[in-house]
Amino acid sequence: MFLTRSEYDRGVNTFSPEGRLFQVEYAIEAIKLGSTAIGICTPEGVVLGVEKRITSPLMITSKIEKIFEVDKHIGCAVSGLIADSRTMVERARAESQNHWFTYNEQMSVESVAQAVSNLAIQFSGDYDSKEPAMSRPFGVAIMFAGIDNNGPQLFHLDPSGTYVQYNAKAIGSGSEGAQQTLQEKYHKSMGLNEAINVILNILKQVMEDKLSPTNIEIVTVTPDKLYHMLDKDELQEVFDKLVPFPEETKASSSAAVSGTVA
Amino acid sequence: MDTIIDRGAPKARNFEPYASNGGSIVAISGKDFAIVASDTRLSEGYMIYTRKQSKLFQLSDKSVLGCTGCWCDTLSLTNIIQSQLKSYLYDHNTIMQPNSIAQLLSTLLYSRRFFPYYVYNVLAGLDSNGEGCLYSYDPVGHCEKVNYTAGGSSGVLMQPFLDSWLGNRTAENPVTEEEALSLVKDAFTAAGERDIYTGDEVVYNIIKKDGIKTGVVQLRKD
Repeated sequence: MFLTRSEYDRGVNTFSPEGRLFQVEYAIEAIKLGSTAIGICTPEGVVLGVEKRITSPLMITSKIEKIFEVDKHIGCAVSGLIADSRTMVERARAESQNHWFTYNEQMSVESVAQAVSNLAIQFSGDYDSKEPAMSRPFGVAIMFAGIDNNGPQLFHLDPSGTYVQYNAKAIGSGSEGAQQTLQEKYHKSMGLNEAINVILNILKQVMEDKLSPTNIEIVTVTPDKLYHMLDKDELQEVFDKLVPFPEETKASSSAAVSGTVA
Repeated sequence: MDTIIDRGAPKARNFEPYASNGGSIVAISGKDFAIVASDTRLSEGYMIYTRKQSKLFQLSDKSVLGCTGCWCDTLSLTNIIQSQLKSYLYDHNTIMQPNSIAQLLSTLLYSRRFFPYYVYNVLAGLDSNGEGCLYSYDPVGHCEKVNYTAGGSSGVLMQPFLDSWLGNRTAENPVTEEEALSLVKDAFTAAGERDIYTGDEVVYNIIKKDGIKTGVVQLRKD
């Protein structure tokens, strides 16, 4: 591996002869070490769900934050290096407020993603900034969930600055399995409660710890409540109402997976 | 031997960055339309620079800006707004709505709080519900949403006239397009009689759902 990538994986400003930027690719790899986060966009609103990794029983779990309010109509879930995400969330908040100040309207979700992606590619210090904002790519992936004039929207942004709109998306360590399940379970007419149920079920599948109301975070963004983080009682309620996926679909899906592998 | 030339007492030349080029604007909004009109005289002191300069600037298919005062400031400000609107379209993929243009104009004017653009602005348009909307400004960016307004050199002459006709209108008897147009014409005719900085012609834009209609009315030329 290091023979073929010799030296070209050092600088963020140098392409390899095959035309790759290894540092950016490594940053994308860093996301896969992060905790799992899932987002589903439905006609009724968008749901974000994340796992919180409780590494010590002495940890105050309510103080781990992985979903942030960007503005009252936009939230975002992050995975990867959480310290890096603070900078990006701060930029998202600043841009959103600035947009409101200048134009007296809520910023669209896509425009927020675009604004943060501008920050994500400032590691090499080109473009219009004299000094790079960072010496390396940001090690976080972000999902922006929000409501704007185009209705509920979900955008995914990765360390390369690429952003893509999704109906349903998973990031973090359990993302591969989670994305597979999302593909099976997602349908266009999904309701908000169904989406929460799907997220809980997937988290249950991919999390190493046992799923409980204390080690997850759920946020909904809906036309009437806008950004809303489920509190302790609401989490307990959705947790109690959890309907497991039917066994037969699980069996058939694993059969389908092994089928494609074979 | 030194020659002494007497040049008198030292004189200071003041920096005079502003000119007053006259011109007036009247605008009235209704249920499904907005009308904005300006005269076409551009002048300074007793000099008329041109009799054919409209002070209306179309910003989109749903909004028109009326801008008078110092003509060079008018040109600069409207160019900046036009370019900002273009950037907004490219950045956000939508045409800016009149209420957003109103806020943008306010922040733009206030950013020059201590060296202002010497201009009086009236922004007319159709809001996202298709209703007529009107915003009136002072030179440093105070913005007020109104139903009718008059601004520029004859603003103080025409505003009381509009007040008497439109001041106590209710939702039950809204101003019609025909009535609004005739009020605009009358206001300018009256202003043309008393104000030397307003005259020649009136150009008006009627902004409606299916487009902007333009017309010209003749005024006194003296």
